[in-house]
Amino acid sequence: MKFPPSNQDIIARRAQIIAALRAIVPDGVVADESGLAAFDGDALGAYRQMPLACVLPSSREQVSAILRYASAERVPVVPRGAGTSLSGGALPRADGILIGMGRMKRILEIDYDNRCVTVEPGVTNLNITKAVEGEGFYYAPDPSSQIACTIGGNVAENSGGLHCLKYGLTTNNLLGVTVVLPDGEIVKLGGKAPGAAGLDLMGLMTGSEGLLGMVVEATVRILKKPPVTRTLMAAFASVPDAGACVAAIIADGIVPAAMEFMDKASVAAVEAYNAPGYPLEAAAILIIDADGLEAEVADAIARIGEHVRAAGGSVTEATEEAARAKLWAGRKASFAAMGRLAPDMMCMDGTIPRQALPAVLEKIGEYSRAHGLPVCNVFHAGDGNLHPLIIFDAMKEGELERAEAFGADILRLCVAVGGVLSGEHGVGVEKRDLMGDMFTPVDLEQQHRVKCAFDSAGLLNPGKVFPTLSACVEQGHMHVRGAELPFPHLPRY
Amino acid sequence: MTRLSNEEQVVDFVRQARRDKRPFEIVGGGTRRGAGKPMGALPVADVGGISGIVQYEPQELILTVRPGTSLIEIKSVLAEKNQCLGFDPVDWSLFGTPGKSTIGGAVSSDASGSGRLRHGGARDSLLGFRAVNGFGEVFKAGGKVVKNVTGFDLPKLVCGAFGTLCVLTEMTFRVFPKPRFSTTIVLKDLAPEPGFAALRKVWKSALEPTGLAYLPGALGPEFGKGAALIRLEGEEIPLQEKCAAAQILTGPGERLPDSDSFAALGAGAAFNTSPLDVWRVFLPPSKAAAVASALAAPLWYGDWAGGAIWAGMPGEAGPGVRTLAQEAGGHAMLLRAPAERRAALGVFPPQPAALAEITARVKAAFDPLALFNPGRL
Repeated sequence: MKFPPSNQDIIARRAQIIAALRAIVPDGVVADESGLAAFDGDALGAYRQMPLACVLPSSREQVSAILRYASAERVPVVPRGAGTSLSGGALPRADGILIGMGRMKRILEIDYDNRCVTVEPGVTNLNITKAVEGEGFYYAPDPSSQIACTIGGNVAENSGGLHCLKYGLTTNNLLGVTVVLPDGEIVKLGGKAPGAAGLDLMGLMTGSEGLLGMVVEATVRILKKPPVTRTLMAAFASVPDAGACVAAIIADGIVPAAMEFMDKASVAAVEAYNAPGYPLEAAAILIIDADGLEAEVADAIARIGEHVRAAGGSVTEATEEAARAKLWAGRKASFAAMGRLAPDMMCMDGTIPRQALPAVLEKIGEYSRAHGLPVCNVFHAGDGNLHPLIIFDAMKEGELERAEAFGADILRLCVAVGGVLSGEHGVGVEKRDLMGDMFTPVDLEQQHRVKCAFDSAGLLNPGKVFPTLSACVEQGHMHVRGAELPFPHLPRY
Repeated sequence: MTRLSNEEQVVDFVRQARRDKRPFEIVGGGTRRGAGKPMGALPVADVGGISGIVQYEPQELILTVRPGTSLIEIKSVLAEKNQCLGFDPVDWSLFGTPGKSTIGGAVSSDASGSGRLRHGGARDSLLGFRAVNGFGEVFKAGGKVVKNVTGFDLPKLVCGAFGTLCVLTEMTFRVFPKPRFSTTIVLKDLAPEPGFAALRKVWKSALEPTGLAYLPGALGPEFGKGAALIRLEGEEIPLQEKCAAAQILTGPGERLPDSDSFAALGAGAAFNTSPLDVWRVFLPPSKAAAVASALAAPLWYGDWAGGAIWAGMPGEAGPGVRTLAQEAGGHAMLLRAPAERRAALGVFPPQPAALAEITARVKAAFDPLALFNPGRL
C-alpha cells in the first residue's frame, strides 16, 4: 500500500512541536527513538511507521489543548487507544503527533440504577465487566482483544465480538460520549437518558475510526448476566447443510448468543493444535451458545438440536462450564492454530448475506487454487461476518503479492454478493483502497463532506478509511509474520 | 403539491429546487406534519408514493423497503414470518391526522414505541439507506447486512433528523423475531416512586422485558394509586418461567394476556382528545418518579422503565418542563403544541454553541442550501 509522502516542513519543525507538546503535557511526551518504537503501529502488522512524536495526555483539557495546537499549527494527529486495531486505524505518521489515550483509564461512575458505567477512554473493555460483575452485570460487546483494547478505541471502531447478533455492536451499547473535536472544542453527546436531542452525532462518531473527533469519556450500557448458558456443537457432511441449518435456526425465531462456523481446514488446524474434540471428517461445524433463563435455554437448545438433525448434522452438547470451555477452545485458538501451518497469514473481515455462504466458500476455494495458496474459513454465522485466513510465506518469491490479490478478491466477492468490506475490524488503511468497490464516487463524496464538516483541514487521522488519489495498490488483509500476531498474548478469533 | 413516485423524480425535483433556491416540505403519509418546528407555507413534495417492499429475507433478518410504505403493511408482512421491527414504530394518533403512517416518517421522527426498551430506537434498526442529497445526487450509506462497519454510519444520522438531511428513497432494516406469546403483569395501587422502582427491578434483570410502563391512578380507577405494567415475551414454557421470576422480583400482581395497552402508550392515545401540550421527557430511569412529581402534569404516564415520561402540560408550563428534564440529566421534546409555542420552544432544547455549530455543519454537508424541511428540527 502506498502512502502520501510525509510533509517535510512539519518534520523540520519537530523540536518546536515537541516543546509545545511538553508545555501542554509536561510528564507525557515520548520523543526518543527507543520510546517511540513502542508506538510504531498497531495490530495490522504489515505496516510500521514511527510517529513524529507521541503524547500521552491525562485529562480532556490536555487532549483539547493538543488538538487546538495541532489545528493551529496544521500538524496531523493520529489517535491511539491500546493499538490493537486489525485494520491499521492507529498507524502513526512520520509527520504526525500520535495521541495515546492509555493514561486516561479511570472508571468515573458505576450507576446500577440506570444500568450504566461512565469511563475514561483508556479503560479496557474487559475492565468494565470486571468492575460490575460482582453485582451480576457485564458489558456485552466482546472483541477478541477485550483484555487489552480500550473503550475509546471500541467507540472509534464500533467494535463487535462473538455475541453481536444478540447483543449488538458498540454503537448499540453506548449511551453517551464526550468528544474533543479537531479544533479542540469539547462536546457532550447523548447521556443516561434515551434518544438524541437533535442529530445523532454520537451514532455518527461511533465507528468513525478517529476521523471526526477523540473520545474522552463514554457512558455504556451494562446488562444483567443471563443465569444459564449452554453450548452445542453441530457437525455436517457438507457446507450447504450447515448453511441450511443456520438459516432454519434464524427463521425459527431463535437468536443464539453466539453461532460460529468452521470449515474442514479450520477444524483440521485446531485439532492438530489443541485437540478440542472436533470431528475431522466433518465438512463444517457450528458451535452455538444459547443463554437466558433455564427453561428458555432448554427450549432453544432443543429446537436448535432439531434443526441440526433435520439438516443432516450430528449434535454434541455441553452444559458444564468445563465442557463448554473445551468446545470453545478450538474456535478461540483458530488463529493461533492456523498460524502454525505457514510462516504468514492474513485475516479477512467481510460480511455476507448468510445464504450466500456455500457459494462464497466454493468461490474462495476456486480463488485458493488459482492463487496457489491455502485458506481456512471461520465465520460468525449468526451475523454473516466471514473471517477467511489466507496462509502463505512472505519469504517465497511472489507469495505476499499473491496473498494480497487473493484477499482483495475475497472482499470484492463479499461486496458482489450483497455484503460489505468490513464486519468488525474497520477499514483503516487495510481496506481503504477497496472502498470504491463498495461505494460509488458520490457515496464516498457524501462521507467526505461529513468528514469536512468536522475537520476541514484534514488533520485528524488522515490517510485512513478513504482512498486517496496517490494510492495505487489494492489490497486488504491482516498480515502476520512468523505466525506471531503483534499482540501474541491476545487470543484472536 | 408535487407527487414524486420514484427516485429519478426526486432527483429532478431537488435539482430544480436547487436551481430555484426554493426549499420544500417533505411529506410521506402526512400523519406527523404537526411535529417539529413550524416551517410556514412551503411547496410540498409528496413522497408517499415511493413505496413498496423491495426485499424481505426473513432468514437474513433483513427488510428493504421504500420509505412511503405504510407501517401497517410492513407489520403485517413481518408478522407472517413471526418477525417485527425492533424499534416498535408507532403512529402518533395524538395528532389526529388521518391517513397512513409511513416507515420513512416513523424513522425520520424516531417514533419508537414501548418496544424500544428491548431492541433500541430507529437508530439501532436502520442498517442502510438510499437517498437524494441537497446537491440532487443519489447516494447510499450503510449496508444490507446486520453487521457492518464500512465507512461512516450515516444511517444513524437520518433517524430522528425530521427529514432535514436528505430525501430517503430506500431503507434497509434489521428485523427481530416476534415471540409467539406475550403476557403483561399489572401491579396495582402503586404510587409513582414504588411503581417505577418495581419497573427498574425488572429492567435490571435478565428477563428482557419488552415493555415497562407506569400509569398513574388518574388514568383509570382500577389502578388505585397507579399501576406498573410489565410485558414479557417468549415461547410458552419459557414465558411462564419469566413471569414467575418477575413476580418474585416485584410481587404477584395480575397476569393479563397481551392487550393493546402498550401500543396506545407509544401512540400517545391518552392525549387524543386533550387540549394540553404534549411533551416527551427523556430521563435516566431512576429520575422518573421525582420528575413526574415535580411536573405535576394533569395527564401523564411513564414508559421505557421511566426513561420516557409523556406529559400533557398547559402551554405556559413549557419552559419549566425543559428545566426539570435538564436538571435530571435528560431532555424534553415538545411533541404536540400550537405552532407559536413550537416556534418559540423548538422540538429539542437549544444546544451549547459548539454542538450547535457542528450540527449545522453536518446538516450543510448534506443540504447546504437548506432545501429540506428548513428549520423543522
